[in-house]
Order: sequence, then structure tokens, then C-alpha cells
Amino acid sequence: MKLLLINLSVLFMFISGVFLIDILSIPWSFIRIIEFLHSFGSIFLTIFIIFPFLFLHIKSSWYHSKRKSLSGTLFGITFLLLVCSGLYLLFIGNRGGEIFGEIAYNIHLYGSFILITSLLFHLKTWIIKVPILQAIVLLIVFIPLQTYAYSHKLTNIKLENDVSRYHNNDWKNSATCKKCHPEIFKQWANSNHRHMADSNPYYMVLENLAEMDKGKEFRQWCMGCHNPSAVTTKQRETTHFMHENIMPDPLFVKDSQTLIQTYKKDPKRLEQGVSCIACHRITDANATGNSSYTLDLTKRKKYLFEDSTAPTKTWINNALINAKPTTHKQKYLNPVYKKSRYCASCHNEFLPHSGKKVVSTYDQWEKSPYNNPNDPKKHKECVDCHMSYIKDGKYIAQSGRSTVGGKIKKDIKTHYFTGGNHFLSGLKSKVHQQQSIELLKTAAILDLNISHNKLLIGVTNSGAGHKLPTGAADFRELWLDITVTDKNGHTLLSSGKLDKNGNIEPNSIIYNKVFGDKDGNPVGLLFWRYEKLLKDTRIPAGKRVQEKFALPKDANYPLTVKVKLNFRIYPQWVTDIVKVAYPALPDPPVITIKEMEKSFD
Amino acid sequence: MLRLILLSIVMMVLWITILPYMMPSKPKNKYSYSDEELRKKAMQVGMHSIPNDYKKFIALVQTPDNFITKEKVTLGKKLYFDTILSKDRTIRCASCHMLSQNPHNQQQFLDDITHPDSKTDCMVCHIKDQSGSDRLSTAIGIKGKTDPYHRNTLTILNSTLAKYQFWDASSKNSRQSIAKMLQDPYKMDLTPKEAIIRLKNDPTYKQTFQKVFKDGITFLNIQKAIEAYLKTLLTRSAYDRFLDGDDSAMTPLAKQGFVDFIELGCKGCHTGITVGGQTIQKFPVRNYNHIIDVTGSFRKEYRGFDVASFDFNFKQYQEFPFKNKGGFMGKDSQKYFRVPILRNVTKTSPYFHNGSVFDLREAIYIMAKYQLSTELTEEQIDEIEAFLRSLEGKPVIFKELEQ
Repeated sequence: MKLLLINLSVLFMFISGVFLIDILSIPWSFIRIIEFLHSFGSIFLTIFIIFPFLFLHIKSSWYHSKRKSLSGTLFGITFLLLVCSGLYLLFIGNRGGEIFGEIAYNIHLYGSFILITSLLFHLKTWIIKVPILQAIVLLIVFIPLQTYAYSHKLTNIKLENDVSRYHNNDWKNSATCKKCHPEIFKQWANSNHRHMADSNPYYMVLENLAEMDKGKEFRQWCMGCHNPSAVTTKQRETTHFMHENIMPDPLFVKDSQTLIQTYKKDPKRLEQGVSCIACHRITDANATGNSSYTLDLTKRKKYLFEDSTAPTKTWINNALINAKPTTHKQKYLNPVYKKSRYCASCHNEFLPHSGKKVVSTYDQWEKSPYNNPNDPKKHKECVDCHMSYIKDGKYIAQSGRSTVGGKIKKDIKTHYFTGGNHFLSGLKSKVHQQQSIELLKTAAILDLNISHNKLLIGVTNSGAGHKLPTGAADFRELWLDITVTDKNGHTLLSSGKLDKNGNIEPNSIIYNKVFGDKDGNPVGLLFWRYEKLLKDTRIPAGKRVQEKFALPKDANYPLTVKVKLNFRIYPQWVTDIVKVAYPALPDPPVITIKEMEKSFD
Repeated sequence: MLRLILLSIVMMVLWITILPYMMPSKPKNKYSYSDEELRKKAMQVGMHSIPNDYKKFIALVQTPDNFITKEKVTLGKKLYFDTILSKDRTIRCASCHMLSQNPHNQQQFLDDITHPDSKTDCMVCHIKDQSGSDRLSTAIGIKGKTDPYHRNTLTILNSTLAKYQFWDASSKNSRQSIAKMLQDPYKMDLTPKEAIIRLKNDPTYKQTFQKVFKDGITFLNIQKAIEAYLKTLLTRSAYDRFLDGDDSAMTPLAKQGFVDFIELGCKGCHTGITVGGQTIQKFPVRNYNHIIDVTGSFRKEYRGFDVASFDFNFKQYQEFPFKNKGGFMGKDSQKYFRVPILRNVTKTSPYFHNGSVFDLREAIYIMAKYQLSTELTEEQIDEIEAFLRSLEGKPVIFKELEQ
């Protein structure tokens, strides 16, 4: 009986391990349990059954009977190796960072077959003696598992077919990803993609305005891209967290501490905005825009205890993932993520009631010289600029680890989501601010000249793969700040200065677009009223525009011309409105993209 | 012995595996009513709609000692929005029971946010909720003092129709509650004497009071005037239209939620015209402290051999399903509470007496588990949530009372 138990234990470890091999492709719902049973069951059996037996067995056969058995020794050594490699896989994991993980995995995989072979040889005589009946008993224990595996595939399939909504537990809080991907989490946590919904003051005010103007349902239009978790859980509006009576500061809190704290306290609360899983569980996307992506949360393969929040269960879950991370990688990565149409699903926006395009960043890229699939050197996808580290105006591939202990990758896509908005992310992290400003500075070049008493200023969109500015371009300010002084220091020409309220003075050269409503009046904040385009002076990718100014004929030469190309993310009048609801909001600074000073004789 | 251990392990594993499959895939909807039957059933258990007809309204709310007149309501409204009734003249009734002064103004938010000296607090955005509560965990009175028991502000909407007022049911009608709130050191902190002196010093109030009441300014008359205004704060919603015979008012999901609401037993306490507020009940009825919770294994989500559904419940003993900040224990510290009004519940988060639960779905789950011993499925919560949304409405505006 004792011998049978030992054999059963070894067989259990072996067979449960074999089930985990990828070639067998056993349904995931079983793999996840088997992985748990295999690792923790083996530890249990080894400590309480196999080690005591081996100790007594070796003692009696080596020391007392002086018997030598090759198969026995082989079994012992292999078993020891398997224990070590198994413990390594469970406690440190095969994360790809060091070669030991891979070695441990291979030892564990091939060693198990050697173990079973040596066991069979060791038991040669015993097997013959014992009736085959016992082997059948063994099979019976495991056969039910097999039949289940084929009759009820994935447990979530039913849900997947007629899923009409998600629930809070389908969404995974991004704070859980932090443990293994701390660097990426930190980059995302301060980025604009994190702060698109509940923690973006401008967005919150505009969503409320949208409801006031077009009714509650209209919020969904905004939320489709800004807040997918709330849309799919049938929430009607974006809400913000509250800690007792206090609304947590949305502006200056670094590294999404609010999210982490709320998750610790109340793990069931839904994370609003664009979370890790919102992007990394998109299975397909097309370039239409207005959130034209496909999400799949219910069908994702979860490791055991993946939804649990208890510390022990989370630890087990992390150990199981690290021991065999292939599935984890597969389920959160998709080749479409590097394609621009993936970004286009949200970076193309149109009004649902009229089809009028509000934001067409992707369309602009499509027409630009950067969309050039035939020439890989010139072709640049969105991620090549906006998810790359930028230093001194050049994109530098970041090598490093995306996972703790993971493989060193040559080119990690950064999650700063660098773009024009240096302001809101910059309040939380200086790196983000610096990255955005660097990116802005690559965007344009200036040239200036005076001929026939005319000042000519040229602005070229040299770096952006879309119009300059893009995005919600009616809320972006890109303008020329010009000062011309004569020999005596008298100002001959001045344009593009800020008035005392912080607004750009009228008649300045501003590159933007202005929406008008059906009567031709500017829409102001209510941009969904857009019917007629009143003005569009944005600069297309690679194009140059020229501004002309007449100078007085009797000017005292030499003339000094100072030109600045300035950028501000939100106009002052918009910030003033948002400040009413968020008094702590500072004014966005003016960024000088290019500056030029020249004297003309 | 070893055989037994082995057998028991196999049995346990098999049990965990098979059990979820033995559960019906969908909770059987044993009860399905036609719209007419549902309406009838609701009326039987005492659920009624709020009238939008002035005569019916008067019949519902008017008492012989406080007639509703246009002048009185106007005076009450003025007092409701005036800071004169707080000790340091900083807060007013509407500070905690937020309502907008002009319900006709659809552009209130835009007006507030673009006005040069607009107020910069939660009100800017939340005023349009018209929730009659402050959306905070606990009420903030004069000088920023918070309630010592950390009690959550109840909505003022429909509250005059409730049989009891306050979480501990310590007041039986709104008139009594108004007096208490005005004098509460953590709310308005104003003595009746001081209130009368202040109003008498204000010529407009003096005049109006003379006009409305025979005996001019008295503390009782202040109460009566405000009460008259509060009585007009009744909301009508999709639910009321459904009860009045409009079958299309509620969505099928909400109707199913209504059926659940009646059949699961929620209606036992949340009843009457206000859907709550009529009785005093114990909370929580069930105590799950230190009970190994296997209910999760009955859930569809966990089907397929998952041990994750067990909760060994090694938690500290808790009086309530949430942390009881403030230590409030209800009426006579016996965990008896006035049943809250469910009308407009969707816009009065956070929930429970100290505002500990922010999520309506979680509140539904807790109520079913601790009051009815029912572990609701996500689908059932969806339905009940949809039903509760159909209770959300805006105050009815009666032409007869418009200034």
C-alpha cells in the first residue's frame, strides 16, 4: 500500500505536469487549475510522502542491505533536480530575464520523462508482480478530467456569445499590473491616457456640458473613448472617486496613487478611464473612429486566482504566471497594437448626428508622407513617435525590461504617450513634460526674410505626421509672436502678444480651426454644435505656410526681427472656465517651439 | 487510513467540480407578470405613483394646520435658499440638500461656470443632479463641522411623505425635522429666539410673514413655511408613469427588476408611495461574521473547477457589512434604522447611514445578502439597478404654485 501511494504521488505529479505541455492544448479552464494543483500538490506530496519514504528507502537499501541500483540512483538525482527546478519556477519564475529560468524549465520538462523511465526500470519486478488492475484504478482517477475537458470547453464561452455588458469584475484594475510591470505602470500612470476621464478637469467639465446641451445619453459619445470601462458596464456618466468627504486631487498626485489607494480599500470599484486592460484586450480595431474597436474581456484566459484580491491568492497567482508566462503574454498582446488603425479607432472623431469630422488625426497621417508602406525607412506608424523615447530631437530605442526579472528587450515601446499635451501629465511628472516638449520642438521650423519692405515668415510642419496642431484643434493654440524694432529700438510691428487676461490679442496669426454652429457663430466650448467650418489654418504634414507683413516705407534700418512660434495646450478662456469647477488648476504655460532673431540691413 | 485520505481528496475535488454544473444556468424566472399584473401587484403592496395633478397633490400632502398656498411656498423657498437661518450666515438648507433655485433653467451649469463670481465648489457640477442631498459621506454644517456620528445626508425629495425622518427615525414629520436641523449645533445652530430676531429685523421677511400668517413671525411659522415648500418637492419618474398606465415608460429590464423587487422581498420594507421611509427596520438582519462562505461556488462565473470561489472569512468582527465610521448604531443603539427612501436613489450616492458604500450595485448586493439572505447574481443586480434607475425623477412643477 505504501508503495502504491508513492507511485500514485509520482504519477500525479507527472501526469498533471504533462497536461501543462502546450502540445496537448488542453482547454484553459483546466490548465489553470492543473497548474495550481501540479505545483502546490507536488510540494505537499514531496514533503509529506516522498521525502520521508525516500529517506527510509535509501537508508534501508544503501546502508543496511548494501544494495546498489542504477535506476534508483538515477531516480534520486533526477528527482532532486526536478524539485530544485520546480521550486525555481514557482518562486522566481521563467520570466525571460535570466537564462536560469529557461534552464529550469527545460530540466523540469525533460527531467520528468527521465524520472518516469527510471521509476519504471526501478519497479521492473514489482510491476510484473502486481496485477494490471491497479493501473486501471489510476486511469479512472484521471479519466474524468479528460472527459470534462472535451465536453465543457471554456467556462466563459456562453457569456461570450451573448454578452451585452460587462460587470466590474470583468474589468481588471490597472493597479494589479503594477507589481510585475512597475516601470510601464509608472509611465502610464502619469500619462495623458491615464488621465482622460475622472482625473481630467477639462474633460469632466466638457462631459457635463455635453449632458446639459444634448441630454444625458450624449455622454456616451465622449465616454466611448475616454471611459470604455464605464460604457461597457452601462454607467451613464463619468464619476470621480471620493475619499470620505474629500475628492482626491486629480492634478498633482503622482503615479496614480489615488487609484492604488482606492483599489486597496475597495477592490470592487470600477477604474474609470483608459486602463491597461482597455487597450490590451482590444482584439480588433478599424479606422472609422469614435471608439471603433472590439473588446474581449470575458474570453480572456485567467490564471488561477487572477480575480482575487487577497494577498496569498495574489501571490499564488503571480507565481503561477511567472512559472509559465506564455499564455499571459499572448492574451495581452496583439499584432494590431503596432498598427496605426488601432490608434485611429479613437483618434478619429466625428459627430454622431451629422458625421462631421471633429478630429481626424489618423486621416491626416494617412495622407501624409509618413504613411509609406513601400519604403520602410520613411514609413512611420503612430507608435514610432508617440511611444518612443525622444532625446535631443531624436527617437532612441529604449532597451530594458518591461517586466521585473524579464528579458532585456531592445526596443521597448514607452507608455508616456507623448503628444502635444505636456501640461496635465507635466503636473505629475517632469519626465512626461520634458518628453512632450521635446516632441513639440521637433514639430516645426521657422524661416524669415525681408524683401521689398515686406516681412515674410515661413512655418514648416517638419516633424509631425499630421496637421499642426491636431487633435481637438479648436482648443489648441499655435501662434506667431512677432516683434520688429528699428535702429532706435522703436517697435514697428508687434503681433501675437498676450493681453492682461492671458488671451492672445486679436488679429494674431493663430494656426487652428474654428468651428461655427448652424448660424455661423463660433461654438466656443460646445464643439458638438459644429456645422460650418469658420477657419482652418492648420499646417499639413511636411507643408510650409508663409505669412506676409507690410513694413513702413520710411523704416530706419537695420531692423531686428524676433519671431517665436508659440504653443499653448488650452486657451486661457477655457482654463478660466474649468477653474471654476477645479480651483487648484494652474494656467497652462506657453511653450516656445521655435525662436528666431535676425537683423536686416 | 491512507486510502481514506485519498478517497476524501478525490471526493472533494469531484464535489467542487460537479457542484457548479448542477446549478441551473440561469436563475429561473419563476415569476413573470404581464404589465397589467405587475401594476396590480405593486398597487396591492402599497406602491403608488406621485400625482402630477394639482388637486390630487393637495389631497396627498395638505394638512388642516398648514394649508398650501402660493405665498407660503414662495416664502418657504426663500428661507430654504437663504443663509439667514444659519448661525454664521454661511450655509442654508440648500447647501446640503442641493437643489437649483430655478428648475426651469436648463443652462444652469453653463451659467454658473461662466459667471465671473461663480461659486467654486462641488455645487457647480452637482447642482444639476437635483438630488436634494450633498453627495458626500457625511453632512457638513456651520464652520465646516461634520456630523459627530458621521451620518450621511438624506435626500429632501419626497421626504415629507415619509412616516419617519432621519436615520434613527427620531422625528415623525418634516416640521419637527426642520426645527431639529435649525437648532442642531452641527447643522445650522440657530436658536428659535435668534431666528425670530433676525427675521424681524429684515423688513421684507417681516412683511411677507405678516401677509402669510396671521400671527406674523414665530418659530412655528418658519417651520410651517419651509414645510410647505418641502411638500412641493415631489418627483415623478418613469416608474410613476408606468404605474399610471404607460407600459412603455419602463424598459423590459427595469420591469424585470421590479418583479425581482417585489418577489425577492425588497418591497417588504421599501414600500409605500415613497418606496421606503415608512417603517423602522433592523440592519443587518443576518450576521455573516466568521462563517465560511461557499456561496461563491454556486455562481456561474466560477463554473469549471475553480477553488477561487471560497472565502474563509478570516475577518475581524464587524457590526455592519462595511466599516462603521462614526459608530452610529441606529435607533436606541439597537441597529434599528428608518428604511431609506429609494426614489432618486441613483443620484444620492454614497449609501448607508455613514456613506461608506459608493457603488449602488454593491449596496444592492449588501441589502439582498444581509437583509434577505439572498446572494444575487450579477444579472439580478443588473435588473434591480435598472428598476432603481426608473425611480429617478425631477421635481414636479405645479403651475398653481409658480411665482
